[in-house]
Amino acid sequence: MSTSPFAQVVTVTSYEIRKYVRGRRLLGILILVGLIIGLFLGLPPALGSSYPSTPDAFVSTFASFTGLLVVLSGVLFAADALVSEHEKRTGYFLFPNPVRREVLVLGKMAASLIVSAAVLSLYYGAAAIAALVVTKSLTWDVGLSYLYALAYMIAVVGVAYLVSATFKTTVAATVLTFFLFTLIFSIVGAILPAAKIDPWFIPTSASGIISDVLGGTAVRPGPGGEARVGFVPDPATSLLVFAAYAVVGAVLGILLFRRKELAS
Amino acid sequence: MQSSGTQSVTRETPVHLEGLGKDYGHFTALKALELTVPQGTSFGFLGPNGAGKSTTIKLMTNLIRPSRGRAALFGIDVRQEPTRALARIGAVIETPEFYGYLSPLETLAYVGRLRGMPKNEIERRSEAVLKEVKLTDWADHRIQEFSKGMKQRLAIAQALLNEPELLILDEPTSGLDPRGMAEVRDVIKALKGEGRTIFMSSHLLGEVQEVCDDVALLNHGELLIHGSVRELSRGADTSTFQTTFLHSPTPQELEALTGIPGVVEVKAEGDSTVDLRISGGEDGQARVLEVMVSRGLKVITYRPLGSSLEQLYLDRIQESDRL
Repeated sequence: MSTSPFAQVVTVTSYEIRKYVRGRRLLGILILVGLIIGLFLGLPPALGSSYPSTPDAFVSTFASFTGLLVVLSGVLFAADALVSEHEKRTGYFLFPNPVRREVLVLGKMAASLIVSAAVLSLYYGAAAIAALVVTKSLTWDVGLSYLYALAYMIAVVGVAYLVSATFKTTVAATVLTFFLFTLIFSIVGAILPAAKIDPWFIPTSASGIISDVLGGTAVRPGPGGEARVGFVPDPATSLLVFAAYAVVGAVLGILLFRRKELAS
Repeated sequence: MQSSGTQSVTRETPVHLEGLGKDYGHFTALKALELTVPQGTSFGFLGPNGAGKSTTIKLMTNLIRPSRGRAALFGIDVRQEPTRALARIGAVIETPEFYGYLSPLETLAYVGRLRGMPKNEIERRSEAVLKEVKLTDWADHRIQEFSKGMKQRLAIAQALLNEPELLILDEPTSGLDPRGMAEVRDVIKALKGEGRTIFMSSHLLGEVQEVCDDVALLNHGELLIHGSVRELSRGADTSTFQTTFLHSPTPQELEALTGIPGVVEVKAEGDSTVDLRISGGEDGQARVLEVMVSRGLKVITYRPLGSSLEQLYLDRIQESDRL
């Protein structure tokens, strides 16, 4: 009796997806997505202002929230995927089976990507349909923005798995993943230009392409003077940066998880 | 280095540990364990808490890395080829947790699919093992509703799913009520009857005696004794016998008891009850009874307090703790 590693990856993926579908996290993020879509669609008419007239500008409003949605997906569907097997002791029943640790990581990672991509697709799908209804047109740039968001999501999930394989508690792994992408990378990305270093290698800076491809988020100068938009690398560089974070995160995550001992 | 005896090791030897050891920083959890468990043996791995039993089992199931030596299951090195080495085993390690969002049937299907079992086989075996551990009525309930005892029974069920040739059980009755403990022992005894090899750790001597043929005693990461339960029981130096007399023995009679050859210690436990610690195995025990009766003492009951193996266990642990 034996099975191929690929079949085992598929098995792990299907059961992990079941976990997310039956858990509260997916429901929570879907409610959040519904709320955000409702705000973007409901607020302009409620405040008496009009919707943007072009599809790119319309979806650009939605894209301003994409970065946070991607990070939230990474936190909820990836950051505790590995560490929980140790902390919650489920590894005691799972690991003595004839399945390699890398197979478990790949299966879990596939599930994290599928569920995160589903949430993102729902969000972009709703934005695209709304743009089509409101502006009566749609451009390829919306699709490109979606693809860039997916690429960013893969990078976030890769890093989240590295964090998950490194830490001993789910709380530490989820909190660090969240603050890494919402605070630490952003701070570093904002400080580096002051030292005349372009933060092209910072994933949050690279994620600017998600909005940039749609013409960027409208930034209006406030009372303090001219508004400044952070550095955003070109799409090719950004995609390479995402790929690098995804691959390095995933590979290091696998290596660390393989070495991690299940000792109480 | 501790030796397990002179069993020959073949590719079909279920468990073969060679100088297996584990350090956590400066603390040595397991020194250099040499142990071989032949096929069809029901093997009890005894020792107090912290003796190194769980460490050994974790090393055998690739949950932790050895600091030295190797563990081989059916001749396959667990570190080198973990998936092959673990393919023919079923294991219950500590009290595992399960995914609360799954039911027992789904959990067993997960394990079965990971092991490459065909769908109809998974269904057939799931039904059988859930019946065996008396969880049939709970087969479709989410595990998050389960008690610790129910989870322990599910752990045993998943270990039995693939009809393993070697069953590794780490404190299998831990967390169970007396009835659950008895049920689990019955399951293990039934498996033993089927000729499977069982490697069971426990700190409950009675449990090991009831279920196992061979036993090894571990303390402070070192193997103290290893042999068949019967041989060790026979070879045990002393046993304690609770002896009840028709009339309370006088101080002189009590004094006289200590003079009987083979009596190591006399402890009055009540008006007419005395605990006698006797050396010389079964022969010694028979001799002491004979002498007491021949001296006119009216013995009503003469029964072992615990077993000679228990005495051996306690003596060796005490000895090892003193070192």
